[in-house]
Amino acid sequence: MGIAIKIDSLHFKYRSASKDSLANINSEIKEGNFVVIFGHGGAGKTTLCFSMNGLIPRFLHGEMKGNVFVKNKKTTDYRINEMAKTVGLVFQDFEAQLFCSNVELEVAFGLENLCLNIEEMEERIKKYIDFVGLLEKRKAQTSSLSGGQKQRLAIGAVLAMEPDVVVMDEPTTDLDPIGKNHILSISQMLRNKKRTLVMVDTDYEVAMDADYVWLMKDGEVVIKDSPRQVLTNLDLLKSCGVMVPQTLEFFKKMGWEEMPLNSKETIMHIKENHPEIIVPHRTLKINRKPVGSEKGIIETKDLYFRYPSSPDDILKNLNLKIYEGEIVAILGQNGSGKTTLAKHFNRLLRPTSGEVLIKGRKTTDYKQHELARIVGYVFQNPDHQIFSSTVWDEVAFGLKMLGEDEKNIKKNTEEAIFVTGLTGYENKSPFLLTKGERQRVAFASILSIKPEVIVLDEPTTGLDYAHQISAMNMLKELNNKGRTIVIITHSMWIAEQFATRVIIMKDGIIIADGPTRDIFFDEDVLKEASLVPSQIVRVSNWLKTQSLSVDELVEELKGESFSVSR
Amino acid sequence: MNLSLYQDKDTWIHRLDPRTKITGIILIFAMCLCFNDPIYIAILTLGVLFILFFARSLKSLWTLRYILILLFLFSMIIWPFFVKGKTVWLCIKGFYIHKESILYAIAMGLRLSTFVMAGMILISTTKNEDITNGLIMMGLPYPIAFAISTALRLVPTFAGAGATIVQAQISRGLDLESKNIFKRFSKFIPFAVPIFIIAIRYTNLLSMALESRGFSPASPRTMYRRPYMKKNDWIVLISLLIVFVIILYIRIFLQAGIVIKDRL
Repeated sequence: MGIAIKIDSLHFKYRSASKDSLANINSEIKEGNFVVIFGHGGAGKTTLCFSMNGLIPRFLHGEMKGNVFVKNKKTTDYRINEMAKTVGLVFQDFEAQLFCSNVELEVAFGLENLCLNIEEMEERIKKYIDFVGLLEKRKAQTSSLSGGQKQRLAIGAVLAMEPDVVVMDEPTTDLDPIGKNHILSISQMLRNKKRTLVMVDTDYEVAMDADYVWLMKDGEVVIKDSPRQVLTNLDLLKSCGVMVPQTLEFFKKMGWEEMPLNSKETIMHIKENHPEIIVPHRTLKINRKPVGSEKGIIETKDLYFRYPSSPDDILKNLNLKIYEGEIVAILGQNGSGKTTLAKHFNRLLRPTSGEVLIKGRKTTDYKQHELARIVGYVFQNPDHQIFSSTVWDEVAFGLKMLGEDEKNIKKNTEEAIFVTGLTGYENKSPFLLTKGERQRVAFASILSIKPEVIVLDEPTTGLDYAHQISAMNMLKELNNKGRTIVIITHSMWIAEQFATRVIIMKDGIIIADGPTRDIFFDEDVLKEASLVPSQIVRVSNWLKTQSLSVDELVEELKGESFSVSR
Repeated sequence: MNLSLYQDKDTWIHRLDPRTKITGIILIFAMCLCFNDPIYIAILTLGVLFILFFARSLKSLWTLRYILILLFLFSMIIWPFFVKGKTVWLCIKGFYIHKESILYAIAMGLRLSTFVMAGMILISTTKNEDITNGLIMMGLPYPIAFAISTALRLVPTFAGAGATIVQAQISRGLDLESKNIFKRFSKFIPFAVPIFIIAIRYTNLLSMALESRGFSPASPRTMYRRPYMKKNDWIVLISLLIVFVIILYIRIFLQAGIVIKDRL
């Protein structure tokens, strides 16, 4: 088998950066191999992807040393559009890489650039739209697709050009579990076709099928090995800021030797070697009382919503009460109405019919600035709000707008900056910060207003594991101080570990609403909304234990055996 | 929320060759320039509305209603200052308002709105790729054709980003309910900065994505949807030409449809 990609002592430094984004990378990828790249945010994963099709250094300028060869073509000798025949690159931001009006034209775009004739195009369009499972959407407008469909289209459009090497930069981050599985099955099919596939991801479930896993840290590849070798090296994973497979951590903490990588393997090992923890009469106790106080803070009554220009209801007859002190996670597929619902809480959207009550009063009876003090809404993309020249001004902006006095502005701003871990950044320009830091600035700017309810839309996308944990711990801390938290998320483990209550939406209605444990036990309802619990909760469900995280499960099982032996 | 103006329908207007539509729109523009009597222009406006109706695209007109109203009002206020007529209607403190200038102002308002509506016919019924292909086949260099269609395509994208930015700033207490227009203007910065940043980031990413898919403005490429002229196209073009000739005749030989001479 030949060599598909050869990277030869590659260094790269962005023009404005102070240190190398890629440092001394030497690697070879054989034809037909599937390589998954892991690493913390800012480890250089995306930069490495960009170097494989010549975007670096041709488009993104900087200092490059060393060489990258793809199929014996030196990337610096060819223009990017010429490299496109050899390397297909799927970007992380799937909105920006879809620029045609409908599905078939999106796929045709690359083929037109290859100067294929109509018959060849027709054949490939059909083949690849079918390959990514969008055949019935062939004439659909790109904007009407769901997130998962858009991502699949982006992949299909690249595959149709039949490049020898396909590089995907985090193709599954914004997707629900079913959407993720779809992408994974595509990668499996590519493998069967002996295409070389390089994929950056943050989810270890993706890596299980790979031939090799590379782990990156601070611009270097620290280990290249088989998935099992890399994923079972827990200390190394932790030091690189990557999430550790839950089931592995579970076995390690139980003091067991086996190394199961997913729930299936775990259950198999438990059956074979640790049957003592299987207790047939164990029953799941559910605390049905709301976790928060009895006092409702947000209430919707017969809420319907549709955009004026569209005939379809996006929210259909929602009746919902959120209590003070809860952490509510709203889950559901893209387009299920989660964001639309949340935007009603501070009247960014007004009900088409029905009403939304905040502290018993209709949102439409409030003045906007009064609502801003009660319900804070943190948007998904921090770039939609950042405009000030310093972090301090950005965080203080809301307070100034609300007409607070100098003393209060200073006090609240300082506090918000401290809580979000931005101390020392006060005079820096927010535009020069990393995505994770910008997200924290955006969050601090809402926090400084001290709203009683904080609504967060996808607070953890684009963050690596370590940052996700710290962001969620911060929210938990605020919740302990009495704030009500509502998060919209795709991440199952975040909902499992942090939410006290889970609401599942599908096509504009709530299909399940209850205590977190209860909801994640009912895998059928989850499946209806294309959701799957995380590996450890699947194990916990099988055992019928109360736990929703590795630590809880270990504690629960050890506690049980303690009481039994006593 | 879909902010795109394209209406994904299948009417005979949608199926016309993009070249026909582009040429047709230019002809309609020219027709509007022939008259400055509001009644004559209103007939043209009605005609354009009819076409939009047949293209089942009146919805996109609704999306742009504020722009249309604004254009109309603006020209109503501005023109009477610049164009003087003969018949005095009103005299307020030495300031004369002439009948002809008011009529002219209405005509200009209608004309501008009709321009926009005629443009809407093209945008609502033609896929972006078809506009690009049409422009190229009419002899425009590829980079220019591509720039035009990309600009059209980006409008809804940035409008969407703009809407989100407004919401994000309102969420942090930015008060847009105050009536004072100057105060409102000073609140422009929190919107302007993010939209510029987003626009720059987006276009950068877009060009990276374009090149990674093998696109280069200088290289030859084929067309998946190569437009071709059908019977309907010729019928539309010839009828529009006939109408245009009639209109030229009315204006030049009958000297009708004018309230103020020596002006377009």
